[in-house]
Amino acid sequence: MKKIFITIFLLMLVPVYAGAAGNADNGRKVYDKRCWWCHGEDGAGEGPAAEYLVPPPRDFTSVMFKFKTTPFDEVMPSDDDLFGMVKGKGDDKGGTVHNSIRNWRGMNDSSMPGWDDMLSDEEIWDVIAYIKGLAELEPPELGQLDFSSQVASSEDSIAKGKEIFKDNCTECHGQLGKGDGTKKLKDDAGYRTWPRNFTKAWSFRVNNDPRNIYARASIGIPGTQMPSFADPESKKKLSDEERWHVANYVASLDEPYKKPGNNTVIKAVRVEGDVPETSDNEAWAGAAFTSFYMVPQIIAEERLFTPSINSVSVKAVYNDNDIALLIEWDDRTKSLPGDEKAKEIADGDPLKDAFAVQLPVTLAPAGETEKPYFGMGSASKPVNIWHWIGESTTDPQALHLLEGKGFKDFAPRDAEPSGLKAQGVYDNGTWRVVMKRKLKTGVEQDLQFEEGKFIPISFAAWDGSNFDEGSKHVMTAWYWLLMEPKTGSGVVVWPLAIALLVFGGELLWLRSARKR
Amino acid sequence: MKIPKLLQFVIATLVAYFIFQAPYLFLGKPIPASLIIMYMFFSVVMILMVLTSSEESTQELVGPIKALVEDPSKALVRNVVFVIVPVIAAIITYNQVKPSLESPVELRSTHPAPPSKLKVYGKSYDMMTLENPYRKLEKEDPEKFREFVKEGGEVYFQNCFYCHGDKLYGRGHYGQGFDPRPLPFQGKDTIAQLQESFVFWRITTGGPGLPKEATPWKSAMPVWEDFLTEDEVWKVILFIYDYTENIPRSWE
Repeated sequence: MKKIFITIFLLMLVPVYAGAAGNADNGRKVYDKRCWWCHGEDGAGEGPAAEYLVPPPRDFTSVMFKFKTTPFDEVMPSDDDLFGMVKGKGDDKGGTVHNSIRNWRGMNDSSMPGWDDMLSDEEIWDVIAYIKGLAELEPPELGQLDFSSQVASSEDSIAKGKEIFKDNCTECHGQLGKGDGTKKLKDDAGYRTWPRNFTKAWSFRVNNDPRNIYARASIGIPGTQMPSFADPESKKKLSDEERWHVANYVASLDEPYKKPGNNTVIKAVRVEGDVPETSDNEAWAGAAFTSFYMVPQIIAEERLFTPSINSVSVKAVYNDNDIALLIEWDDRTKSLPGDEKAKEIADGDPLKDAFAVQLPVTLAPAGETEKPYFGMGSASKPVNIWHWIGESTTDPQALHLLEGKGFKDFAPRDAEPSGLKAQGVYDNGTWRVVMKRKLKTGVEQDLQFEEGKFIPISFAAWDGSNFDEGSKHVMTAWYWLLMEPKTGSGVVVWPLAIALLVFGGELLWLRSARKR
Repeated sequence: MKIPKLLQFVIATLVAYFIFQAPYLFLGKPIPASLIIMYMFFSVVMILMVLTSSEESTQELVGPIKALVEDPSKALVRNVVFVIVPVIAAIITYNQVKPSLESPVELRSTHPAPPSKLKVYGKSYDMMTLENPYRKLEKEDPEKFREFVKEGGEVYFQNCFYCHGDKLYGRGHYGQGFDPRPLPFQGKDTIAQLQESFVFWRITTGGPGLPKEATPWKSAMPVWEDFLTEDEVWKVILFIYDYTENIPRSWE
């Protein structure tokens, strides 16, 4: 009887393996339609799209798979690893959706999408069979990484992980884990690489589940300078438990407010007293951040295809006279032209970092939503651009007020009469810039801020160490800024009056009915 | 069993409301609230007209309400109703007067009417007669056609896919940064509904070439006349139809 059960059980496994084996001929058809554009006809990662992509598409023939889960001393990925990378780490296969970039179910912060909405599991196995042939992959001899020793996350574990992180990880990942390390990194193929920013869990290629972080710490990221901390030959070997503590600590670094959501409105909050001119002011506590994706300018020449900044978070406060914006974005480098250290990290003397806020000069009349063209306005609908520029070893920070009348059609004017000021501070991988202006300036070419109105606003950023310059920068679409009006007494008075009126009507009706 | 007229009124009103909310509930595409109010007004008027078509049914409709006020045995129900109605009125008023912090709705036409004449590449094209010069190869020289589709694919993957996506789903890796989102080509409701001349117009003149109803100030679509040759545009059009297995619309 027992034997029969075992036989039946084994038979049930057959289709699973048949699936895993895949049909390479079918796989080739899928590959030639869907995959070669990036990964190349021969799988060497040299398709027509490759030169425009950061990170570059995987070269299968290099037999280096960054996000595998076989042990560090095993070169080959498991079938499940390959399957997960193609299918997408969406909501199954050890992933969680909440981390990912909106609408993106593949490998985050790369151009590899998840294919589960277009390919069946069978087709995915077929394409994997074909890729394995292309790259001459062999079955892994050592099995999967063992997760059974997992140490549950706790305050204690996170505290221990923090200490280990300080000693082992900060050189590349930065003091606060924002990837603002002090070491220049390149992968085996010579591409510049940047360490992950742990405060943006949504940008993790896979996700920030401690198990996945533990896997990276234990296996390393093949082909890059991320080593295995499980390798006994390494000077930096960490015990199994220590790696779990680090994983728990890294997972705890996520700052969810930085993840762009569906909110398109920055709500400016009214404050008592002066609006702040610096980022460390208590007045900011009452306002909330709204975060937006930043994407490279690929609309007009000269375009940028190698962005290094991917989001911005903004809050705003105002009083009767002024409005101030706190703009916060993660930039792995403080680009300080003339500074030796900055030069070393940037691959040459960097340019200055910069940031710009774009606003229309006039607001659309009530009921209309027409805005200036989001690429720096037009002659008939000009824009105000507040252009903050970071310092160099010789120049202080600067602020330019520009009048935009079309792409590259802009002229600077004096910021003084508009009462426009800006002050930025760089701290461990984050720029915090405060821009402040008078609500009403009396200058004709300025936007005059109005309470309770939806004001279009958009942003642009330049990373000098990435040699962003001129039209080569990252940017956002138009979003909204709203100075939240004080809720007047009408909000209470009107409903009460209506309720009383209705009740009175009821009583009159009742009385007239009784009289009859 | 006969349903009381008053209940009929309530049910009919709820059904009408549900129908107007259905596009939001099932497709995630809401009808603007102001339109729903207008539709509901006409629906309620219609329902009342039907229910009060005869003296008898009018009596049946208002009977229970009259009884509520006049019949002493219904005093408890009456008191409850008399409290609830003003409260509901207050809540509705509050929702009307409270400051709205929702961003303005921007109704935008995704496929606006094209101009009759298109001026690009220093030439003027008649949109009525403009055709993809390579389309006829599909029948006449299938091998050449496949070659051009592949060339179009290379154009796509060097220029378009950051926004419109590897899968032509409109979800490229930079697509999430733009609003409105890049259009998908998969499915039957975008390029399948359009002629190739329309697509040619949209590609070559980009966002700035849109008419006002399509909010040209927001579209991030580049003016591809500046980057691609006429030949490349026609080839990339072949590719996006081929990849998504869509057939361009024609005049016949």
